[in-house]
Amino acid sequence: MIEVKNLVKRYGNHTAVDDLSFTVGKGQILGFLGPNGAGKSTTMNIITGYISATEGTVIVNGLDVFEEPEEVKKMIGYLPEFPPLYPDLTVLEYLDFVADIKKVKRSAKRQMVDDIMEATKISDVKNRLIRHLSKGYKQRVGLAQAIMGYPELIILDEPTVGLDPKQIKEIRELIRELSKEHTIILSSHIMQEVNAVCDSILIIDKGRLILQDKPENLGKHFSSTVGVKLVVKGDKDTIISELRKIDSITKLEETRALEEGTVGLTVYSNEDKDIREDLFFSLSGIRTPILEMQSISMSLEDIFLKVTQEEESVNETSTSSEEEVITDVSDL
Amino acid sequence: MLAIYKKELRTYFTSMVGYVFIALFLFIIGLFFRMNNLVTRAANFEYTIANVSFIFVLLVPLLTMRIMAEENRQKTDQLLLTSPVTAANIVMGKFFAVFTILLVVNAIICTYPLIMLRYGKVPFASSYASLMGFLLLGGAYLAMGIFLSSLTESQVVAAVITFIVFFFTLFMDGIAASISTNHKTALIFFGILMLIICFILWIMMRNITVSIGLGIIGIGSLTGLYMYKPTLFDGAIVKLFSWLSATARFNNFYMGILDLADIIFYISIIFVFLFLSTQVIKKKRWS
Repeated sequence: MIEVKNLVKRYGNHTAVDDLSFTVGKGQILGFLGPNGAGKSTTMNIITGYISATEGTVIVNGLDVFEEPEEVKKMIGYLPEFPPLYPDLTVLEYLDFVADIKKVKRSAKRQMVDDIMEATKISDVKNRLIRHLSKGYKQRVGLAQAIMGYPELIILDEPTVGLDPKQIKEIRELIRELSKEHTIILSSHIMQEVNAVCDSILIIDKGRLILQDKPENLGKHFSSTVGVKLVVKGDKDTIISELRKIDSITKLEETRALEEGTVGLTVYSNEDKDIREDLFFSLSGIRTPILEMQSISMSLEDIFLKVTQEEESVNETSTSSEEEVITDVSDL
Repeated sequence: MLAIYKKELRTYFTSMVGYVFIALFLFIIGLFFRMNNLVTRAANFEYTIANVSFIFVLLVPLLTMRIMAEENRQKTDQLLLTSPVTAANIVMGKFFAVFTILLVVNAIICTYPLIMLRYGKVPFASSYASLMGFLLLGGAYLAMGIFLSSLTESQVVAAVITFIVFFFTLFMDGIAASISTNHKTALIFFGILMLIICFILWIMMRNITVSIGLGIIGIGSLTGLYMYKPTLFDGAIVKLFSWLSATARFNNFYMGILDLADIIFYISIIFVFLFLSTQVIKKKRWS
């Protein structure tokens, strides 16, 4: 459906997008993940034909965005970072206008506007001026605008910004619903969001592609360390000296224990090695009961932080990046 | 285009701007109509029209200041430019919307000579010729206003620039007349003009070869022409200015002369500025 090849965008000396290539299949939801200023919005603006690229090509359904912009624009619905709303129009007038410029057929227009207002839950404000709407409603009107005309490709730049948790849930459901017939690209810096709806995740930082994979596979890239959180009852020094005997433990960290007479510990081990049993037998050997044990699996946040920070530390010093990252992760 | 046209008109009349423009317009014209026609008992409506042609300088910025600048500021240009509408469609839709408001005002003013008909004979030819010129002049100013608004993100900046530029057009004849008619001055003036054009071209295209090439060819041919026949440059600045002057052309209409050249002149001005506005919109993509 979309093929982005060697995309480069430079502003003077600043490179916003640096040799980015990826593909999205039909009916997929692609999540664009990256810290602020990573080049997410720039890439989206290029795909939608709002700005040009310095180098590279974008092919949507076999059509080049730079050569046939009019044709490509017919297939794309776009919700930019700031929803493009006219404050002096009512919601209904605005959506009518959008339907007109998206060349929706006159006979289908009325029904489509109603359906979309229903789907995005804005029917109750349809006669109010957009300037009087709250941020959440404005965001949803922006979303309604993007799906007007049911384009084949829907591009959403941080679609759930400014919404409350209930609305976020509704919008995610809507996005999932839409993905049955549409290809969707959405960007976010919120991991759960991408995790919750996307078929494929693309992490970029400083304009470069760091990785593209399915959300469930992402963990595999970074399972070099696995940690276990422990709360053990007993004397701290004896526990620690006992744990030092286990070879597969690579790192020991003390955390705050809430109860009197207990020790809080975070233990990291090599990958592919489940140390929970070892921990149990070793600690029960010195009769210090384990009160709590919880394994830490890497969340998307951790992966994201790790990936983007690794990039940074690679730039600074190529060594000892692992340690820094781990301490940061445990801070979360 | 129709969608943009409708939307623009709607915004003018949901915000107060449309009503304020019409009201102020009619108020000023009414004032001059009373002084020039009713009080002095003159039937020539063109006197009023000639007196109020400055009205555009005051009121057109009111109408055009937000027309493009606001799209840029609210980022709604992102919606327009990622929709299947061309830049030309956007500009045309907007121009026709503001022109419609002007048409409404003119339609109301058209009845004024008819009012005077009750009291005696009215020279309709010169009255309506001047109204026609008035409309065309207004269209030219609107097109200029749209272009100037497309250059900025701020309504206030757009309004101020538009006002200053319009102000100069009013006094262009006077300024031109005070410039020396010496052929040397003319040569230097056209040389500088050529350099400015090359510089603007360079800013827009970022192509050194084209702009320098054009500069060399332009200045070369100017000097060549000067060597060959210096008298050609006598009073050339004044000629150029009065040819370009939008208000000077208006005098023909005022005298009841409908010259095709004048009509085409105004329509070309409208066309040129609308074309420049579409170029500004298209250029945004390449910045």
